[in-house]
Amino acid sequence: MTRILLVEDNEMNRDMLSRRLARKGFEVLLAIDGEQAVTLTLAERPDVVLLDMNLPLKDGWTVAREIRADARGRQVPIIALTAHAMSDDRARALAAGCDDYETKPLDFARLLGKIAALAGARGAPPP
Amino acid sequence: MSAAHAPESVILRDSLAATERLLSEAIARAGRLQAFEVLADLERCALAAARAADCLADDWHGERGELLHELRNHIGAMAGYLELLLDERETLDRRLLDDLDALRARAGELLAATAPEANIALTRAPAQPAGERGTLLVIDDNELSRELLGRYLRRQGHTVLAAASGAEAMAILAGHAVDLIFLDLVMPEMSGLELLARIKSDERLRAVPVIIVSGIADGEGVIRCIEAGADDYLTKPFNPVLLQARLNAGLERKRWHDREESYRRELERSQRFIRNTFGRYLSDEIVDALLENPQGLDLGGVTCRVTILMADIRNFSQICENHTPQQVVRLLNNYLGAMSSVIMAHGGTVDEFIGDGILAIFGAPVAHDDDARRATRCALAMQREIHGVNERNRAEGLPSIAIGIGLNTGLVVAGNIGSEQRSKYGVVGHTVNLTARIESYTGAGEVLASQSTVDEAGPGLRTGRCFRARPKGMAAEVAIHAIAALDDDAPAAAQPRGGTPP
Repeated sequence: MTRILLVEDNEMNRDMLSRRLARKGFEVLLAIDGEQAVTLTLAERPDVVLLDMNLPLKDGWTVAREIRADARGRQVPIIALTAHAMSDDRARALAAGCDDYETKPLDFARLLGKIAALAGARGAPPP
Repeated sequence: MSAAHAPESVILRDSLAATERLLSEAIARAGRLQAFEVLADLERCALAAARAADCLADDWHGERGELLHELRNHIGAMAGYLELLLDERETLDRRLLDDLDALRARAGELLAATAPEANIALTRAPAQPAGERGTLLVIDDNELSRELLGRYLRRQGHTVLAAASGAEAMAILAGHAVDLIFLDLVMPEMSGLELLARIKSDERLRAVPVIIVSGIADGEGVIRCIEAGADDYLTKPFNPVLLQARLNAGLERKRWHDREESYRRELERSQRFIRNTFGRYLSDEIVDALLENPQGLDLGGVTCRVTILMADIRNFSQICENHTPQQVVRLLNNYLGAMSSVIMAHGGTVDEFIGDGILAIFGAPVAHDDDARRATRCALAMQREIHGVNERNRAEGLPSIAIGIGLNTGLVVAGNIGSEQRSKYGVVGHTVNLTARIESYTGAGEVLASQSTVDEAGPGLRTGRCFRARPKGMAAEVAIHAIAALDDDAPAAAQPRGGTPP
């Protein structure tokens, strides 16, 4: 089963998105801040990380860099969930080590496609 | 963001409001169908929609991009929950499914309208709520319900305080004046019923209306709450019309109570004022009469017909010279105390002590038909009482005294006279001055009265010497009579003039 770590500080979005993903057959891990995101990624090595970039305490860009800086996290696919459709955010996310990005509010079908592509590329079969 | 672009925000706000209405209809339908899981997610949608709508209403100090993102984030959450529900469309009731499809379409429109490329002008477009507003306390352990109701109420213009537990609620109630309480029936730790009992047993909080908020299945609990003093109840999911009606009724009730309370306090204050102002020199009887009829008491200044009584001690300067100050004060206190009692017993008002002099008024602030008669009777009683005063004086090694009393009846101006720092109830006018003159003609133990007092004293008056005098500063001579006795001294109860006899 594909395991997804969802990093999202907004309680409602976290609830909604995790339930939608669970319904699609994913195993969903949750992190509510950047600190948890790094710890869980390195310990659990999920198949995909969905990383909200606007996090309190430690933002998504820092989280991505810290994950990439650790040998355990170097290969974990990260999809950045960015606030703005500005190319600047996208470029910064990719520069920080993210593999792809999606703009919020999310197009769920497109997000599923990206998850499948990244998880599949890493060898985990899609659900 | 110029004002010319405002309509776009207004359209957006109206569109969000329409979405919220659709949501509340869907919520009501889910409630009727007892589809509780759908209901819970629809309430999340409603909260997301409310957050989005409040983005436009709140004071927003951030930049446009942030506001737009925030707005879209909430609409996106709503759309997400709707999709989550629609994923299982085959399990849904037909009409509920129609509601959800319509809502999802709306959410899509809202997302399109607020898409960055749509370049919508965003200005805050706060709604102008109408109707009564108050400070409301929402008590609910469920964060979502608390926020949903809170946002709804805040948008009506109310000030909303929120508590997640009974203990938190009591802390808030201790520090805030609350007009109405929404109380969730089912809470951990302190239940709604327990908290209600606490509120209703608190003298200070008892009058705050409590609306119980309950689930559909809590009928029994609601009945117990109503018995325990709850004012009203609402069943979740809320019907906005019903919520509004019950809220308004509760606030109206509270407003009436507050008005009554402030009237009662005002009355108490004025009664306290009257007791403090008059208690020391008016008889209890007159104070009570004033309290019963406070609006009849115009202290701003009125002309009224009164009988003035003035008394002083003969040769007082000599007594002062021959005795120590302590002795003089003891002597005065013996004398003034005894005389005040006599004056009050006759329904007079001790207006002033000026050294050894006494100025008393009969007929103000409350007029009676027999003011002159009572004043005359009082003067004679004071002369008799001097014997008692002298006995006490002798026992204390103080000298005997004799007094002279002048009486005069006529018009005076009565009212609270003075400055803001110091004012007292008093009388002024020619009648007062003439009384002082008459009093100056008295000998030891004598009562002298003007013609007007003699005329009004009534039957049974026996007079002694009579003389005409032209007091200093007076144009005409006046007739002055020595009062010997007032027969038929049956004690008549003093009745306020124009008052209803018991």
